[in-house]
Amino acid sequence: MSNDACFHCALPVERADEFQVEIEGELRPVCCPGCKAVAELIRDTGMSSYYAMREPPQPGAGKPADDAAEWQIYDRDDMLGAFAELADDQATATIYVGKMYCAACSWLIETALTRLPGIASAEVSPVTHRLRVSWYKQQQGLGRILATLASLGYDPQPLSPETTARPEIAEQRAALKRLLVASLGMMQVMMFAVGLYAGDFQGMEASMQYFLRLVSFVVTTPVVFYSARPFFAGAWRGIVSRMPGMDLPVSIAIAAAYTGSVYAMLTSGPAVWFDSVVMFVFFLTLGRFLEMRARHRSIDRSTALSTLLPNTVNKVDADGETTIPSSQLVSGDVLLVRPGESIAADGILIEGTTTLDEALLTGESEPLAKSAGDALIAGSINLDGLIRMRVEKTGSDTTLGAISRLSERARYARPAFVQTADRVASYIVIAILLIAVLVATSWYFIAPDRAFVITLSVLVVTCPCALALATPAAFATAGTRLSELHLLITNGNAIEAMSRARRILFDKTGTLTRGAPEITAIQVFDKARTEQQCLQIAAAIETVSTHPIAIAFSIAANEVVATDQRVAIGNGVAGTIDGQRWRLGRHAFATGDERDGDTLTTVYLATNNKLVARFDLNDEIRPGAMATLAELRSLGLRPALVSGDNAAAVQRVAGILDIDDYHSGCSPGDKLEIIRAAQNAGDTVIMVGDGINDAPVLAGADASVAPVHGALLAQTSADVILLGESLAPLVLGIRLARKTMRIVRQNLAWAVVYNAVALPLAAGGLVPPWAAAIGMSASSLIVVLNALRLSRFGAT
Amino acid sequence: MNILFILIPLALIILGGAVWAFFWAVGAGQFDDLDTPAVRIIMDDDKKPPEKSEQ
Repeated sequence: MSNDACFHCALPVERADEFQVEIEGELRPVCCPGCKAVAELIRDTGMSSYYAMREPPQPGAGKPADDAAEWQIYDRDDMLGAFAELADDQATATIYVGKMYCAACSWLIETALTRLPGIASAEVSPVTHRLRVSWYKQQQGLGRILATLASLGYDPQPLSPETTARPEIAEQRAALKRLLVASLGMMQVMMFAVGLYAGDFQGMEASMQYFLRLVSFVVTTPVVFYSARPFFAGAWRGIVSRMPGMDLPVSIAIAAAYTGSVYAMLTSGPAVWFDSVVMFVFFLTLGRFLEMRARHRSIDRSTALSTLLPNTVNKVDADGETTIPSSQLVSGDVLLVRPGESIAADGILIEGTTTLDEALLTGESEPLAKSAGDALIAGSINLDGLIRMRVEKTGSDTTLGAISRLSERARYARPAFVQTADRVASYIVIAILLIAVLVATSWYFIAPDRAFVITLSVLVVTCPCALALATPAAFATAGTRLSELHLLITNGNAIEAMSRARRILFDKTGTLTRGAPEITAIQVFDKARTEQQCLQIAAAIETVSTHPIAIAFSIAANEVVATDQRVAIGNGVAGTIDGQRWRLGRHAFATGDERDGDTLTTVYLATNNKLVARFDLNDEIRPGAMATLAELRSLGLRPALVSGDNAAAVQRVAGILDIDDYHSGCSPGDKLEIIRAAQNAGDTVIMVGDGINDAPVLAGADASVAPVHGALLAQTSADVILLGESLAPLVLGIRLARKTMRIVRQNLAWAVVYNAVALPLAAGGLVPPWAAAIGMSASSLIVVLNALRLSRFGAT
Repeated sequence: MNILFILIPLALIILGGAVWAFFWAVGAGQFDDLDTPAVRIIMDDDKKPPEKSEQ
């Protein structure tokens, strides 16, 4: 570990000897008193192995928040009612734990909590970042639990029971049960079927044959009526709505084969097809299950929404100020919003002035000045003023709610590639049944004694397992491999789209750049001062501001102290140091002299209207972005830059990265327009974006990628989530997607060729049932083994 | 071969037991999270707090 990174949060350390913590017998540098406190807490409670087990943190991960929130409020009864489920002497709450990033974090949280008195259980899912904790009401309180999480450097957000209802858990449980019944049923019935085939081949007593058919029937019945029920339900919905989907042919195939077999069993007919029925149901159920698991990996919408809004608000009425849970807000309430707090609902500013950070909603990275009468959007952050607002819309009626609904709808409106394979397989099942009937009747007239053995061969040899397996096996393997390569696939269609993509659109903020401006150049005009002195003066003045630019200055270590600081919203800051008045900001603000092309990417330091220094600020290009773009080009993808930022900033980034196709000042609508234009030109488009405003845009692209540290809502509408800081997995992902589609095509070609060759041979009476059974199994095996080649992709 | 008339129904009863056990496990939430337990096993949480360093 390098000496200049904080041992706890990996941010740069200015002076290695300033803050230190002794862990595992060595002195480790930390960046701030906050990290020191967290590290000491972890050490003193004997949980140091956290540091050995965790994955290397992203800079800033786990750094405790500067302002200690007031957690005691959560011990109040009305808060407990809003966030916890109460039973006898116990309470249970679900808490979203922000800033946790690996499995070691979940261990740390669980261990720390179970050491508190009165905790019944604590379980953290590192996948969903949710903590489920139960405690005894007499001995413990929600406030204390939240405070403990905060003291470990995390960012806890209690979720209200409505948002924690998790229908996907129920869905997954039901799907698992169906899958198990189908798989056990399939194994049993296949076993009996082997016995029946052997009997056909070497003779069998009629009573034994009837018995084996009967037990096959007994096992198949629950598979058809329990495991296959979703298909029947789907088919019925399709009929009622007059829009029959793929469930209809599937249901017809299952129902026909099942009733036909029952009839054959009762009348001692030539053959039963129970094995085909269970196998078909099993493979379809397996395909659906894998698809569902991939879908559930994406973070659910309700959490994304609720983590952006504050849990409590300060309501002002005749009796003064009270803190209430946000869920109790109604239209017309008047709220007091302090600096640093986020806006809980859409409304109107009625008193005070401030700047708002609406970056997550509008993509505008510069804060906006607001005064009385201006509209406020839920989810934006109040940066520097104390304001009062009147609530107009709450919850899902807000702009934020509308955006999330929009992206949800766009997501479900897309064509599903994976289902095509199922549909083809189900048509083939019907075709096979028809062909079998045809073959049986033909042979009945040609040679009645051979008719049933030949029909059997036809049915076995043409079992569509290979066909049904060809796509899901390849997609499931590719999905697993991609997650190992740091790409989380939440929508199977993305693999297909990524393999065809010709264009890749980047959103500048946060995807190609780091997202935080840094000082890139300092020019000093006053010969009497050094760069370091100017930087210290600027940093001292900026301490009052929470603007991203102020954060760029906060890197400078400082002994200089400014007093009487004032923030001039949208212009700059002023402060007094040793009796001298300093101004820092736009040229006009600092010197009183108007100038063209004045933006906040260059700030000026002045005293008494005399210019002292100039600071150039720039958002740094992400490491490896250049190499990734070069590789994408070599794969035949045309990169483009589509950003909401101003022309100069976009031009600079495009210039550095050598992108000739760039658009600046784009609203989400413009971005969607650009995607549509490319799609109309026949190109498949990948969109890489990270902001909430990108959510509808992401949903409109053929495949969408969101980095894991971006906005939660962007992730919910993204098909692919990019884990980690690097963009490099994108290249591997596109290459793997192409290989996956190649393998799917190989598999489908194999299954079709095999059936095309085997069917006439079997129908001609040239394939005995045992050879047919071997052929069918071998065919399925080849398909699966071919798909498994993907699991080694990219390994050295 | 007549033994099959007893063994197969027996097998089906055992199968029924297996299905019941699995349904119980699913209902009890054993399969809700398939990712955490794999990593949890490698954490030792029985480490004692370190002795206070001698002053």
